[in-house]
Amino acid sequence: MILGLDVGGTQTDAVVLEDGHVRAHTKTVNRPELLETLGQSLDKTLAGIEPDKIQRMVFSTTMATNAVVMDNMDPAGMIVSAGPGMNPEWFSVGPSYHVVEGCMDHRGTEVMALDKSQVKEAIREMEKAGVNACGIVCKFSVRNPHQELQLEEWLGDQFGYKALGHRFSGSLNFPRRIATAYLNAALHKLHTKFISSLETTLTERGLNAPRYLMKPDGGTIRLDKSCEFPAQTAQSGPAASVMGALALDGCKGVTLVLDIGGTTTDMALVLDGLPLWVPNGIRIGEHRTSIRSLLTRSVGFGGDSEVRVEDGKKLSIGPMRRGEAMAFGGPMPTPTDAMITLGLMEEGDKDLARKAMEDIGAQLSLDAEKAAKMILEETTKGMTKAVIEFVKRINSRPVYTIHEVIEGIKIDPDRIVVLGAPAPIVAPMLEKAFNIPCVVPPHYQVANAVGAAAAKVTAEISLQADTQRGSMVIPEVGLESAIARDFTMAAAMEQAKEALFSRGLAVGADPGDQEFAVIEKEEFNMIRGGYRVGKNIRLKLALVPGLIPDCNCGGQQL
Amino acid sequence: MIRAKRKTGLVFFPAFDWAISPTHPEREERLLYTQDQVMEEGLLDVPGIREYRVRPAKYSDLQRVHFCVPDEPSMATESHLISAGGCLVAADAVMKKEVESAFALVRPPGHHAMKVVHGNRGFCNVNIEAVMVEYIRDVYGVKKIAIVDTDCHHGDGTQDVYWHDPNVLFISMHQDGRTLYPGSGFAEENGGANARGTTINIPLPPRTGEKGFLYALDELVMPLLEKFEPELVINSAGQDNHFDDPITHMNFSAKGYAELNARLKPDLAVLEGGYSVEKALPYVNVGIIMAMAGMDTSTVKEPGYDKHYAPQAPDITDYITNLMGTLKDQFLINPPAPHPAKNGEIITTSKRIFYDTDMINENQDERLVRCRDCAGALAIDSHSSKGNKMMGIHIPKDACPMCQKTAEKWVNEALDNKKFHHIFLQDRTKCTYEVLR
Ligand SMILES: [Zn+2]
Ligand SMILES: [Zn+2]
Repeated sequence: MILGLDVGGTQTDAVVLEDGHVRAHTKTVNRPELLETLGQSLDKTLAGIEPDKIQRMVFSTTMATNAVVMDNMDPAGMIVSAGPGMNPEWFSVGPSYHVVEGCMDHRGTEVMALDKSQVKEAIREMEKAGVNACGIVCKFSVRNPHQELQLEEWLGDQFGYKALGHRFSGSLNFPRRIATAYLNAALHKLHTKFISSLETTLTERGLNAPRYLMKPDGGTIRLDKSCEFPAQTAQSGPAASVMGALALDGCKGVTLVLDIGGTTTDMALVLDGLPLWVPNGIRIGEHRTSIRSLLTRSVGFGGDSEVRVEDGKKLSIGPMRRGEAMAFGGPMPTPTDAMITLGLMEEGDKDLARKAMEDIGAQLSLDAEKAAKMILEETTKGMTKAVIEFVKRINSRPVYTIHEVIEGIKIDPDRIVVLGAPAPIVAPMLEKAFNIPCVVPPHYQVANAVGAAAAKVTAEISLQADTQRGSMVIPEVGLESAIARDFTMAAAMEQAKEALFSRGLAVGADPGDQEFAVIEKEEFNMIRGGYRVGKNIRLKLALVPGLIPDCNCGGQQL
Repeated sequence: MIRAKRKTGLVFFPAFDWAISPTHPEREERLLYTQDQVMEEGLLDVPGIREYRVRPAKYSDLQRVHFCVPDEPSMATESHLISAGGCLVAADAVMKKEVESAFALVRPPGHHAMKVVHGNRGFCNVNIEAVMVEYIRDVYGVKKIAIVDTDCHHGDGTQDVYWHDPNVLFISMHQDGRTLYPGSGFAEENGGANARGTTINIPLPPRTGEKGFLYALDELVMPLLEKFEPELVINSAGQDNHFDDPITHMNFSAKGYAELNARLKPDLAVLEGGYSVEKALPYVNVGIIMAMAGMDTSTVKEPGYDKHYAPQAPDITDYITNLMGTLKDQFLINPPAPHPAKNGEIITTSKRIFYDTDMINENQDERLVRCRDCAGALAIDSHSSKGNKMMGIHIPKDACPMCQKTAEKWVNEALDNKKFHHIFLQDRTKCTYEVLR
């Protein structure tokens, strides 16, 4: 049996899967303390189940996100070397941010060495500021990590945890690398403490199976390994839903996934079972990071969105949520009240819902039913508009080769999978609006928890080989090695695969899972003075998001 | 939090799958390190900087500008259409006011492509700036436009396209034609009979540095722009004036390019040449993008700047000071007198054009109506060493009745003449292009 648990904004969903079936599913209202919420959800979901029957557990939590958004992270220092370009002071973050001299160019050639005395000074400043973790980031460190490693060495054991920029992502983006290293450093202690409490909570209940955390890229990571990459566990909720859609439905063709929550509706796209990723990285609070994430977009339409009448005639829905629907004791009319009034939903106080609709109707000179209908129409219209905008944006992403311009594959959804409590009510309306099949899979209310349970481990590595410099770097695994002048793409592919699989194993991937995707594969001849002086090879491989074998059945059994 | 002071659009198209030949300067690798630098700087994350996706231009976009012989498909490959289309995307972004300015960082370049196209000249087939200008005129109704070409090579193609057009001010600053391809761009070349003084050439000596470029800009280019009052300023932002460029002999820098751009404040910039792919382009492009976005560029410089950049030598400074004195006199104080020919008179000229990349010789005999009311009807009789004989007749956008009638007469004469393999009529008043033979 597999346990999947997803902590949302207001409630926590959990499921137990057995032989590809949903054996139990629960919803628990969140407690102020995350661990308390987790404990209650576990007890409720596992009632009547022998703990040693659970063979795998996956958690999607809000720990990292909340710490970032509330800004109650640990004080983390930053040491940064930049060289020419944008002023590195513009990316200052945290209580003790220090720019030291030093420069690496785009080929990974050291242009200016670090100055030890400046670094010593920065260390003194960080001590004074009382930091207990440190981020180390150099420009172009993914091309040559030498200066970051040098800084790590000079810092010694002074600061407990050191976040080296090149280890988190092989992508080029210095400001995002800074933000990512900072968040990892600032979250490390909190996250480690949380993980150890969670381990205790699990052990107390006799739950000893392998445990994982959900990541925003639609994959998972082993609980203990997550301490090395704490920021990679932030904002995993939307990804859990998408993986749920994949497990419950299979998502063949071009599938748009809509997850309708209380406050927002999340959108994502899945192409023949493979969810789309954002090109650069996720934004957590005010920080733009290089952390991989599924491409999801949130719009301010949900079941509990506030409904108002503006200027005496215009219906306005969302983006605020003032509380629950009036039918559940909330303060403002909501789309949920409209559904109850129209008899589309059984739950809730019908009289209160009706009163909400009468209130809105009075301002528009309509009766309660007509007002409710109008609210649902407007909500559907808003969602439709957001979906069109989302797809349009994806289709206008820049491309850099003639081939891609000419091929110009346009994404055009041919089906929609709707999740969340109001799914069965909203789906027919969306089907009418888009004129494509709208599917509501079984267990649509807890798809997020199913997704967490079913998601397999993901990992990614980047390789850059420069035969003129005679060097190959795979930053994520800290590999830098000399190569011969006749190094080829085929050899690079072998090295990259080996690195990917070992990285995958380290973060908890199934040794049997060697299915990978080539994200980027480029090879350039380097010409100087009319002669070829070398080759520039770039590769990015990934264990892409997918379902563990037990759950990979296109929704047939679940 | 950083933010662009001016909203800036970026159209980036490095054409990673296109080269003239494997070792040619115009090859796949050219913008590779520029891409690396732009990505690593995180410029595309800066609020106010927006990246746009390219779209291919259509053959009809080319027909507003060129006479392609024998036809567009054989002169413009997909890469040329995409590069030109990138400029159109940039133009749309600015004209629709989505951004205040935009930079088309695209390749292949275009400023050596002339009105008649028989092949590739100076790495160019399609004049991407001209395609953009004519698109803007047709779609957005803009009349007066200035193009400032800061590529190291004389923008002879753009000069040729706008030679007779009094509504386009073309200014080229470049390395003196006596010392560099294409060997033209002297101050005496100041526009056709109906457009005297709207072509301006500033031939700078080899080794011109930051000081000289900015001096020429302040002393001559900016006052000329002020006087012309264009609705739109376009910068042909070639980057081969760089001190590290392998095919030129100038002494400019990333800092200088950024400063030039900040002062010129073009509405649209288009990449042209620039072949120091590793040591110059990444930094020059970052500098230009930041300058366009109104950001402080004082921290942008090449890693080799302190070691390899030598400030402009005093003899060069003296030379440029003298040159600017002369040019100011020629263009600002005593601007060129109108052409003496009578209204309606036909002016004939002949010229030879060499296509260095494709090794083609072309002979042109041109007839122009001297006209005080419009840019004048134009007939180009061209034959190339490939054997193609073409007659191209151009009716300018604001053509007067007299010029329209003359053009009609020329068309009939050409149709009666068996020697032409191709006859084209480019009627800019109707925005049409007819293949008559
Ligand atoms: Zn040039
Ligand atoms: Zn006329």
